[in-house]
Parts: sequence; structure tokens; C-alpha cells
Amino acid sequence: MTTSNTEAHDESEDIIADLGEYLDRGERPPQELLDRSPAHQLALESLLRFRAMAGGLLQADADAEPARDDSWVSRILTNIHIEARAGRSIPLTSPTPNAEFSITEGAVRGLIRAAGDSVPGALIGRCRLDGDVTVPGTPITVAVEAGVYWGEPIPAAAQRIREDIAGALRRHTELTLAAIDVTVTDVTLVRDGQEPDQ
Amino acid sequence: MTQSHNNLRLFEAPDGVLAGRAVDGDVRSFEVLVRRHGPLMRAYATRVLGATSESDDVVQEAFITAWDQLPTLKDLGAVKSWLMRITSHKAIDRIRARRDHAPLDDWDAEAPASDTPHHRVEAESQWDKISDVLGRLSETQRQCWLLREMGGYSYDDIAEELKIPPSTVRGHLARARRKLVEEMEEWR
Repeated sequence: MTTSNTEAHDESEDIIADLGEYLDRGERPPQELLDRSPAHQLALESLLRFRAMAGGLLQADADAEPARDDSWVSRILTNIHIEARAGRSIPLTSPTPNAEFSITEGAVRGLIRAAGDSVPGALIGRCRLDGDVTVPGTPITVAVEAGVYWGEPIPAAAQRIREDIAGALRRHTELTLAAIDVTVTDVTLVRDGQEPDQ
Repeated sequence: MTQSHNNLRLFEAPDGVLAGRAVDGDVRSFEVLVRRHGPLMRAYATRVLGATSESDDVVQEAFITAWDQLPTLKDLGAVKSWLMRITSHKAIDRIRARRDHAPLDDWDAEAPASDTPHHRVEAESQWDKISDVLGRLSETQRQCWLLREMGGYSYDDIAEELKIPPSTVRGHLARARRKLVEEMEEWR
């Protein structure tokens, strides 16, 4: 643009540009610069205000959106590559010699989550199957993270989670369980999607 | 019934827990993340693109990429800012595609006031007012400002994203800020 050269020499732009760059570097502009003119102090206040507004602006935009039907959510969920999470293939005994049966690691993790989540006050986080699940008879250690909410006693909840997961795995898989390690990682409930520490 | 009980619990679960479950393949947890952060991502895309028609596509692309790349995210608790960054990338991809199809003069033209989505004859709130001013910046000025102030991008990151020199980013930011300072004066 041909105007940019003349604009760059404009004094009011220079001070706004300078102050903006101090802020962008995370520095406080020198007091001497601010004392030089009341306009400098006002410009700094404005820049700080716009920065604060920028954060709230998106939330204001989102809040102002009229309620929508759920089609945007279902469109996303039908387009994600769910099979990417299948993991290893875990063999099951076949009733006939000509057929092979198996269950995916992803499905087993789903079983583990469902079993653990059914314990009152518990919500399963990550879970991992340690050991070679593709070879029948290999001892497998299940490691799960669990959040325990609503004032449930943690040791009792961890014990029930362990038992319910063991029961579900015995019913639906042929895994040889060496251990089920339950780590209670998170006991904080959030409201409205806000992280407690933000 | 425990099913709805669990759904409720998922809706109150922290981002990190939901992201971890999604890494393990739990679509319901991912759905909660979609509902929780999708509206803000859409608002961001709409701000950057200056039009609502493409924002849904940007948000959809962002979540599809997020699902694929979630296992590589080191700090699962930081999934929100990560999602915003992916949204930013997707929106900017669209801008670059637009720019490839339009002469450069048009690209940096000032948006006519009547075309800006947030134009108000009479600004009713500070949000309307700042929206109005942002809507009247040139595309590049607005994008530089949004990436800097909403996305927290450095000058070099903005330059990289928009494929313009860092010195140009500096100039656009300065002009965007001057316009905001001038036009927002009565809101002091």
C-alpha cells in the first residue's frame, strides 16, 4: 500500500506501535516514555483494555450464538477416524477350527471404562494394557487412572473399580490378568467446562 | 440409570480426563470436548474469516485433525489452547486459499462497512463497538490483531502463518491498534 510509508512516520502511530511492542514482549514500557505525554499513558491504557477485551470477545460471540440443533456435532463424530484407535488385536478361542475370533484392544479399553465408570463416584481416565495381548496366556497388567468424586472414600472406590474391571474382563475376554493397577489421579469436578486452575 | 449418570459425570469431567479417554478411543468423551469447545472455536474462525459460512467447516476440520493427532499431545490438560491453535491453522489455510484466487489488491482492501458482519449503526455495547471497528480493519490487519491478541502468536509465528514478512506484521498490528485506539476513545 502506498500510504504505509507516510503512516509509519506518523507520531501517534509510532507511540502506539512502540507501546504495543513492549506489551508483546511482555515488558512494561519505560516510565520515562509514559511521562512524556498524557496521551502516551492513555494509549497504554487503551492497548491493555483491548487485550483484555480480546479474550472476552470470543466468549461473548459464542454466548450470542442462537441455540443450534445437534447436526454440527453429529457431522463431526461421523467423520472422525474411529478405527484409528482400534489398537492391537486380542485373540479369542474359536469354537470351530476354521474360524478365528478376536477383540480389539480399543474394545477392551471400552469394557474397562464402562466397568470402572459404573462404580459410584468414579470416572475412568486413561487405561493401558501392559504385556503382549496378542499371545494367549501372556500375563497382562491393566493400568487405569480414575477420578473419584463426591466424597467417596478413595481406597474403597479403588477396590471396587479393581473388582468390577476384573469381573468384566473375565466375562468378556480370555486375558490372563496379572494385576489391575488403579491410580487415582483427579478428584476435581469442573462446571461449565472451566478447568479449576484457570 | 447409570448411563445418564455417567453422561452427566463426563460433562463435568476436566479436559485432561476427557482428552485421555478420547486418546483411548472413547467417542463420547470426545463429543463432550466438541460441545465444550466447539462454540469458541467457531467464534474464533468467524472472527478470523470474517464470514460465518465457512466457520462450521473449519471447526469440523479442526476436530477431525484433533482426533487424529490427540495421541501426540503431551499435555492433555492443555487441549483447549491446542484446539484453538488447530482452528487457527485451518482458518488461515482457507484465507491463503482465498488469497491465491484473488488479486493482492483485493486481499488487503478495507472491508466496506456495509459488508461487515458485525456492523452496527449504533453500537450498543463495548462488544458491538469493538466488533464494528475490527470489521472495518483490512483483512490482514484484523488477522494479525486476532492472532496476536486472541491466539497469543508471536510476530514470527504470525508471519509464518500468513506468509508475510515479520516487518509487515509489525506494521499491520500498529495500524490495527491505532484504529482501535482512535475509534474506541469514547469507551475509556
